[in-house]
Amino acid sequence: MEKELEETKPNSKLAQVNLKEEFESSGVDQILSELDDTLIGLKPVKTRIRETASLLLVDKAREKMGLMTESPTLHMSFSGNPGTGKTTVALKIADLLFRLGYVRKGHLVTVTRDDLVGQYIGHTAPKTKEVLKKAMGGVLFIDEAYYLYRPENERDYGQEAIEILLQVMENNRDDLVVVLAGYKDRMDKFFESNPGFRSRIAHHINFPDYSNDELLEIGEIMISDMNYKLNEKSREAFAEYIKLRRKQPHFANARSIRNAIDRIRLRQANRVFKTSKGPINSDVLSIIDEVDVRKSRVFSGGIDS
Amino acid sequence: MPDGNKKLDAKARYSAGVLEYKKMGYWEPDYQPKETDVIALFRITPQEGVDPVEAAAAVAGESSTATWTVVWTDRLTACEKYRAKAYRVDPTPNNPNEYFAYIAYELDLFEPGSIANLTASIIGNVFGFKPLKALRLEDMRMPVAYVKTFQGPATGIVVERERLNCYGRPLLGATVKPKLGLSGRNYGRVVYEALKGGLDFTKDDENINSQPFMHWRDRFLYCMEAVNRASAATGEVKGTYLNVTAGTMEEMYKRAEFAKELGSVIVMIDLVIGYTAIQSMAKWARDNDMILHLHRAGHGTYTRQKSHGVSFRVIAKWMRLAGVDHIHAGTVVGKLEGDPSTTKGFYDILREEYNEVALENGVFFDQDWASLNKVMPVASGGIHAGQMHQLVHYLGEDVVLQFGGGTIGHPQGIEAGATANRVALEAMVYARNAGRDYLAEGPTILAEAARTCTPLKQALDVWKGVTFDYASTDAPDFVPTTSVS
Amino acid sequence: MRITQGTFSFLPDFTDQQIHEQVQYCIDNGWAVSIEYTDDPHPRNTYWEMWGHPMFDNPDAAAVVFELNECRKVYGSYYIRIIAFDSSPGWESIRLSFIVNRPSKEPGFRLNRTETKGRNIQYSMSPYSSDNPQGSRYK
Repeated sequence: MEKELEETKPNSKLAQVNLKEEFESSGVDQILSELDDTLIGLKPVKTRIRETASLLLVDKAREKMGLMTESPTLHMSFSGNPGTGKTTVALKIADLLFRLGYVRKGHLVTVTRDDLVGQYIGHTAPKTKEVLKKAMGGVLFIDEAYYLYRPENERDYGQEAIEILLQVMENNRDDLVVVLAGYKDRMDKFFESNPGFRSRIAHHINFPDYSNDELLEIGEIMISDMNYKLNEKSREAFAEYIKLRRKQPHFANARSIRNAIDRIRLRQANRVFKTSKGPINSDVLSIIDEVDVRKSRVFSGGIDS
Repeated sequence: MPDGNKKLDAKARYSAGVLEYKKMGYWEPDYQPKETDVIALFRITPQEGVDPVEAAAAVAGESSTATWTVVWTDRLTACEKYRAKAYRVDPTPNNPNEYFAYIAYELDLFEPGSIANLTASIIGNVFGFKPLKALRLEDMRMPVAYVKTFQGPATGIVVERERLNCYGRPLLGATVKPKLGLSGRNYGRVVYEALKGGLDFTKDDENINSQPFMHWRDRFLYCMEAVNRASAATGEVKGTYLNVTAGTMEEMYKRAEFAKELGSVIVMIDLVIGYTAIQSMAKWARDNDMILHLHRAGHGTYTRQKSHGVSFRVIAKWMRLAGVDHIHAGTVVGKLEGDPSTTKGFYDILREEYNEVALENGVFFDQDWASLNKVMPVASGGIHAGQMHQLVHYLGEDVVLQFGGGTIGHPQGIEAGATANRVALEAMVYARNAGRDYLAEGPTILAEAARTCTPLKQALDVWKGVTFDYASTDAPDFVPTTSVS
Repeated sequence: MRITQGTFSFLPDFTDQQIHEQVQYCIDNGWAVSIEYTDDPHPRNTYWEMWGHPMFDNPDAAAVVFELNECRKVYGSYYIRIIAFDSSPGWESIRLSFIVNRPSKEPGFRLNRTETKGRNIQYSMSPYSSDNPQGSRYK
């Protein structure tokens, strides 16, 4: 009966495809413009994604016309410093691949070495498989993927996870897309020593650091999303803060900005509580003052996380 | 409210003589039914000139404490409490001479766990009451407090499936034909062929008990040989409903015990044995881990006419309380009475945890079943493999589809008939699960399946075009705009 | 003979794609899907061996097909079935169960009859394959 059932499926080759129509009806258009609108900066990343989306859309069309026989490799690597939007973009990619029909569910499963690698013998394989099974139908995002590979320890269980990963990336290409992410230099080294991964990854995307202006813009969006406001003085102070913070160790782009805002809110709350006498209005509760920013250790040579 | 409907003070109420029921306290338009009240909905057709409110009050009175005249002994009781209260009378949407009367009964009017006691009141003398031309019990709401006094289905749908090791599709059955006349040995042959071919169950007919052409022990012995042979031939659990209906309770127990001894998973009774006997058999079935099948023989005498009798949905409720595991509840597409929405109402009552009011299906009340087991409905009478898509669509998954003629009448024999039904069913469930529009594509799906199954091809050819399209006599009275309260 | 337990035994054996469709139906209904195998197909053998726990958290049926193929590598000559459990109140049991792997030869069952008094016969059945010890029944 299998044969009969297959005959009824709409697999007859099409003579014509309207790319523009496909583009609009798939909702890819919408995701790409969302990407443009909601993400500050990241120009090269956006361009790469747009290119990849077009390629995949054309591939689908070719498949429909019988010009493609094999499904394309979709596994990717995202390299860049912390806080450059890799996870956010991965979420969008998952949605994009879903709309394009390359994954069936479109969810994102984010893991690190600890989720894949076990503590004792026989522990790693089931752990890795469990994660892979959860990610099937969607995208598996492995952050700081290079930690899987520890050449200094011959008996490291990470190697077992790598082998299973490679196998599934090859055999179950239709079932999930793997994104490996981490610092650029370490990712490069990782791929050098693991040619298996290098050959299975089709799309390498670089995430550049944000400029100071971009970080300020990101910070302002975060602040207004939390229903706070900067005034002119505090904005100036915040811009200065960004300049200073960037030169310090452990700078993590947008993530450092989010942490700074959390501390600013703490100082603002303290100030408002100490100075308030009697009833206060919402303006007092939402405005961030210069002093809330300038009290940061960064301005006096200290280090912020 | 007109003055004539008012209740009287005690002196006027209890002076000797004949009084209107509505003045005796059986009409209380402001009454709010309690959580614990039993509520009945009657369709009443008053004699010409009889006020519908008085007729409703009379039904309340005659089905509870009243008699035709005033009795002073009422005053020795908490009579206000025991009086049933008609609290709402609506004209029916489609017939100006008929009315829906809602009547609430105090729970203490009924003995716990006794359908006989309940029915002696609700459908007792009142159905012969002269001022009414006709009377029909349309629906009842059983309070949880009352539901909990009943055992409920001996096995229930879930445990039945676990016991049969059969999931994910309707069960398949067939009634052995001809109804009467086969010897035990010949009878067993039909059972064996049908079960080996792919059915889960075969069934005795309602009037197969112990007649000169075949005594019951003979039938049981040959049937169990057939069941076990078929089980070994397929690796599946099989069963045959051994009808234990007999003249006395003692005889029924005896037959049921023998069925158990032979290893049968199921026994069968007829509705005509009576409510008490049904409850006794349900208790026996629970005690002995047997599935209890009920054939609704005789129900058509009082369920079918819309103006008089008892609706089958009420019988379905009583039987769920009484504790049967299977009950025949209509096919929609077969040869016996039943329009789709009324039948859906019956099926919901048998299978759901909680029924919500669904006037379009004839369900007038919310009914909480309080975790009482579910009853497996049985669809039988004039159905065949070519209707499989409609059967799955209308009747769902938890149902026994019984193809009697549709199995035994197959041109290539009984086994081929059974196989045709099983393949048609599995193909339909497969298509449904795979997300196909199986109702619209039904004939295509069957034709596809028939390509690798000759018996199905033959069945489809023979019964192509057999339908029973007659207007139903028992469609729900329902106007979509009527407010639901 | 062909053992016809399970929801789809009368249809031709499913491809992995067809298994995927049926499993996805189960997952989309919120049921947990489990893989079980045995070399004792007696219909009263309720507890087949579990190939891992029921899969509660996998949104896509590919996970089940993946595990099924892992199971086939080890128990390819056994019966393997897929079971879906529904945990909703009032059910809390199996919703779908179908065989996805069979031994190449299915010898079937022996029916044993013991005659007792009053023409009563007590029946039992056993798979011919269970004449051999567990683990060496199917090759």
